Amino acid sequence: MEDKAGIKKPKIECVNISKHFMEGQEKNHVLDTIDLSVRENEFIVILGPGQSGKSTLLKIIAGLYKPSTGNAYLDGKEITHPGPDRGIVFQRYTLFPWKTVMGNVEMGPKLRGVPRKERRRLAQHYIELVGLKGFEKAYPHQLSGGMKQRVGIARAYVNNPKVMLLDEPFGQLDAQTRYFMEEETVRIWETEKRTVIFVTNNIEEAVYLGDRIVVLEGKLPGRMKKIYDVNLPRPRDYTDPAFLDLRHLITEETELTL
Amino acid sequence: MSNEALVNNSPVTEKPRTFGEFISALFKNVYVLYAISIISFLLIWDVLSVMQVLGRFLPRPVEVLYQLYDMLLNPLAGKTLMMHLWFSLRRVLIAFAIAVVIGVPIGLAMGFSPYFNAFVKPVFDLFKPMPPIAWISLAILWFGIGEMSKIFIIIIGAVVPCIINSYNGIRLVDPEMYDCIRMLGGNKRQEVIEVTFPAAFPAIFAGIQISLSMAWTTVLAAELVGAREGMGFIIITGMNQSKPAMIISGMVVIALTAWAISMLVTHAERWVCPWKTKLE
Amino acid sequence: MSDIQSAGSKRILKILPYLSLLSVLAIWELVVDTGLVPNTLLATPIQVIELFIYKLSHADPDGSVLLVHVLTSIGEALTGYTLALLIGIPLGLLMGWFVVAEGLARPIFEMIRPIPPVAWIPLAIFWFGVGLTGKAFIIWASGIVPCVINSFVGVRMTNPVYIRMARTYGASDWEIFKNICVPSALPMVFGGLQVALAASWTALVAAELIAADTGLGFLITMGRRLLMPDMIVLGMLMVGLTGVFIGIVIDRVEKRLVAGVRR
Repeated sequence: MEDKAGIKKPKIECVNISKHFMEGQEKNHVLDTIDLSVRENEFIVILGPGQSGKSTLLKIIAGLYKPSTGNAYLDGKEITHPGPDRGIVFQRYTLFPWKTVMGNVEMGPKLRGVPRKERRRLAQHYIELVGLKGFEKAYPHQLSGGMKQRVGIARAYVNNPKVMLLDEPFGQLDAQTRYFMEEETVRIWETEKRTVIFVTNNIEEAVYLGDRIVVLEGKLPGRMKKIYDVNLPRPRDYTDPAFLDLRHLITEETELTL
Repeated sequence: MSNEALVNNSPVTEKPRTFGEFISALFKNVYVLYAISIISFLLIWDVLSVMQVLGRFLPRPVEVLYQLYDMLLNPLAGKTLMMHLWFSLRRVLIAFAIAVVIGVPIGLAMGFSPYFNAFVKPVFDLFKPMPPIAWISLAILWFGIGEMSKIFIIIIGAVVPCIINSYNGIRLVDPEMYDCIRMLGGNKRQEVIEVTFPAAFPAIFAGIQISLSMAWTTVLAAELVGAREGMGFIIITGMNQSKPAMIISGMVVIALTAWAISMLVTHAERWVCPWKTKLE
Repeated sequence: MSDIQSAGSKRILKILPYLSLLSVLAIWELVVDTGLVPNTLLATPIQVIELFIYKLSHADPDGSVLLVHVLTSIGEALTGYTLALLIGIPLGLLMGWFVVAEGLARPIFEMIRPIPPVAWIPLAIFWFGVGLTGKAFIIWASGIVPCVINSFVGVRMTNPVYIRMARTYGASDWEIFKNICVPSALPMVFGGLQVALAASWTALVAAELIAADTGLGFLITMGRRLLMPDMIVLGMLMVGLTGVFIGIVIDRVEKRLVAGVRR
């Protein structure tokens, strides 16, 4: 299970990260000694049940939280602030309700001061990439959950980030839409390759999407339990015996704690 | 929302076959019921009035109508009904504008700065539970019974919702919105412009709406104290001259105006925040 | 959020509210003492406290000791308020569930709703006199509005799944109303209690300003007639404090009642 292709420099590196929150006088220990390196253009899935600290780890990489000990590095530089070199997609979508689809997607370039015409062109490209052509003028409350999350993905992609961070992005979708969005995620990722860190609590989703799957222990503080390599060709098939085998393996090895 | 499902719980959709079913379906139709309600309200009112249950101080509905008609054409204390209404509205609008200009920035500052909030909130909490009407005496002492004291009282009433809603609007912005704009590369200034203001805007606007209604409610209280014109003056005149018909017609105009204001404000909201989904 | 405030700024935030109240009192005292604002227009905090202590045991110059004013006001407010609850809540609940109740009551309610409580004062005096009845009526008319609205909305917000489930089990309209709609509306109803209280308390002051011989609103009016700014300010402060006090009591009662009902 060791990372064999260690020759290339890691894109993201987490060294000895732990995190606790203060709740009044109580220390709430959420993450413990996480060491992880992610290669360029790798699709890595962090798998763990609710309350395993996986979202916290993602937010540390995003720069939204500071780790209590240890550090996270992007291209060898310490991550201290949130920034547009990492694109994030939230579970609750978190679109700007007062902006149209176009307004949401063009927000990143707008903040960078890209001229209107240019940023419109950029945004249009990514709106079409996620399959929302024709909905540019719609407001988020007019869209379905799956469409909202497409806007979220386009909004993160438009900044041309080095890393995409997805925090249980399909957790609120129904099963049908979820499968469809997983396929779309792979399609988009194969069209425009990025390093992806994808957080989920769904084993099937993890096996379908990931190059590697990092399993966290099922209780706080979150620790790394095991890393699985997924050597299945894409597009993957949910009913492929090899797929099912891996799914079973992960299920069995994690069920004690999940 | 679920209202439709709840309202249609009775089997009104089935076609009535017998006369009895037709009647019972008729009595479950909301509009029929509304009509019955209004007609019986007026009838009972009329009967109570003719039988003098509340003494001679309950006029018949027709008398109220006649009084309204009379005041529309013939001036009372030199002004027709519309003039009185205009005087009240003018006071409301002036005080409302001042209240918004004072209240919204204070509320915003409280939302932005925890220090300003810690300093201002205790004083605000001290004054908040005192109803605007309680200020009447002080206002008269300070400003006399002229226009100033009336506008002062209305401002006291109208400024509170502006402050509360602006403060809460800023404070209750979803923190993930900030996470989001930071990840997109926004700096502090851009956070405020692109997230704080638009996200807080519906709450602030709601505060302004409540403030306008409050101003209209408070104008009466303000005018009870020695006004020579306005809707409060009509009501007080009716009281002093023992003309209940005049009082009730004043109340009718006040209620209609309040209703018109709330309609206007709802429309303004749809126009100003098109992204806002309907509230309930 | 991730920002961790330093211990120093936390301490400042704790001290600031006291500092603010103290400085307001100090400025208030100073502007009057230095003659910037004449004493005939504004009393100093010390004068107000002196009058407060004096009024605890003395009936003059307005006719009653402070406690009598407070109790009169509370009595009047609670009478109107209780009547508003007793009529408003059942009415709102019924309007929320039964089409007939809504159809019959709604137009009248919508007609009365926009009328400010102050507008009722002359009619209330004509019809019921300047005593308790008249004032209770004014308070009732303004307290009932939030009671009806909140109970109505509470029933309307009942999760339709529960209602459908009850129907599958063959529950009658009345049983559904009694066992499902009313309990699930309770949190909203209790939310209305505080709103109704605030409305009642405002209306009370209005009623007492116009016609009364005791009560806190009367105290304020007398302060003006006697040109005693300290009495006006005392009356205003008592109105605020008593309002807050009743609010806390009702909150306590509500918490005890609602203990069994999940939010």
